[in-house]
Amino acid sequence: TVGNKIFHFGPCRVSMSMTEIRSGFNTIKANIQARDPIRTLSILSYPHSLHKVKSSDRCCVSHQLFNFYVDKVFRHCRTEDPYINRKISSIANSFLSIRRNFQQCQEQKNCVCDQESLEKLKQVLENYEGLNVTAAAMKALGELDILLDWME
Amino acid sequence: EDALLPAPQNISILSTNMKHFLTWSPVMVQGETVRYSVEFQGEYEREYANESWIPICECSLMAATECNITEDISATVAYNLRVRANAGTRRSEWGTLKGFFNRVTTSLTPPLMKVIADGYHLLVELEDMGPAFQFCVLYWKKGQESRMQQKVVKEASSVVHLDTMEAGLDYCVKAQAYVEAINRSSSFSQTKCVRAQGGTSVWL
Repeated sequence: TVGNKIFHFGPCRVSMSMTEIRSGFNTIKANIQARDPIRTLSILSYPHSLHKVKSSDRCCVSHQLFNFYVDKVFRHCRTEDPYINRKISSIANSFLSIRRNFQQCQEQKNCVCDQESLEKLKQVLENYEGLNVTAAAMKALGELDILLDWME
Repeated sequence: EDALLPAPQNISILSTNMKHFLTWSPVMVQGETVRYSVEFQGEYEREYANESWIPICECSLMAATECNITEDISATVAYNLRVRANAGTRRSEWGTLKGFFNRVTTSLTPPLMKVIADGYHLLVELEDMGPAFQFCVLYWKKGQESRMQQKVVKEASSVVHLDTMEAGLDYCVKAQAYVEAINRSSSFSQTKCVRAQGGTSVWL
């Protein structure tokens, strides 16, 4: 189907239209990554890859990263290209919808981070805030497939 | 540019099976071709991007009074939509859809279904309704509704084998469409029955 994936975090269930998000991202990935001059730095993977996150913390880390993209990243990704803006809007609205699902998990107390994961999230924010806001937003958007790959 | 043109009226959405179209009444201007431009605004734009609007290139300065917005309505959130008329250098104010549109309200029709008795094999072929769709197929021996069986079909791309039939018995099938992204199902199709060995099939 449209590649709706159901993520189970304990009893909590989060439905995500992964294929819709990925196809939207793939159409703009090259353009977005070309706008990222600093290829040696990573926001999501420095110093540790997301794959080091414990499975018990996956819900919380995913939720916080969706918050990061919705609250901080997408709003600074406006470009001069209407088509790119349309695709970013699609992804942003999908993230907004998915984040709502995560909030339900959090209310059920199934989405809690331990200290190590909180450190990881803190590092992502530091990586992000260490750059000029537009450069940081474009870099983070260009790394969206890192998040999607890790989630899948 | 002055806004002498009247704004488009009767702006509405036609949404069926996750395909969404914005339509409006034509703006009439004597002796001139009127063209229209469409923009959308998702919940994200309203809450996080200063209520910005995003133009739909395919529906920019076009003569038609209908715009396929399916590609842009790609999240299950509330969208605003608006359309403006242009004639020469003149253009109208924006006409905005009354209320939001959320794809969760799309109308879902039961799938077309072809039931095939291939010797002892009960097969079903389903209408390809698009990538968002999967199907729930129910089948049973005629007269034994209480022993109904179910099969979930994730993609409509090929014929699906349901069961191996007992000779001479009638088997009945019905199906409904399901869209995970909005967590809704269509009503069931009409029931179609075939008989093992020499049963015939026809599209409903």
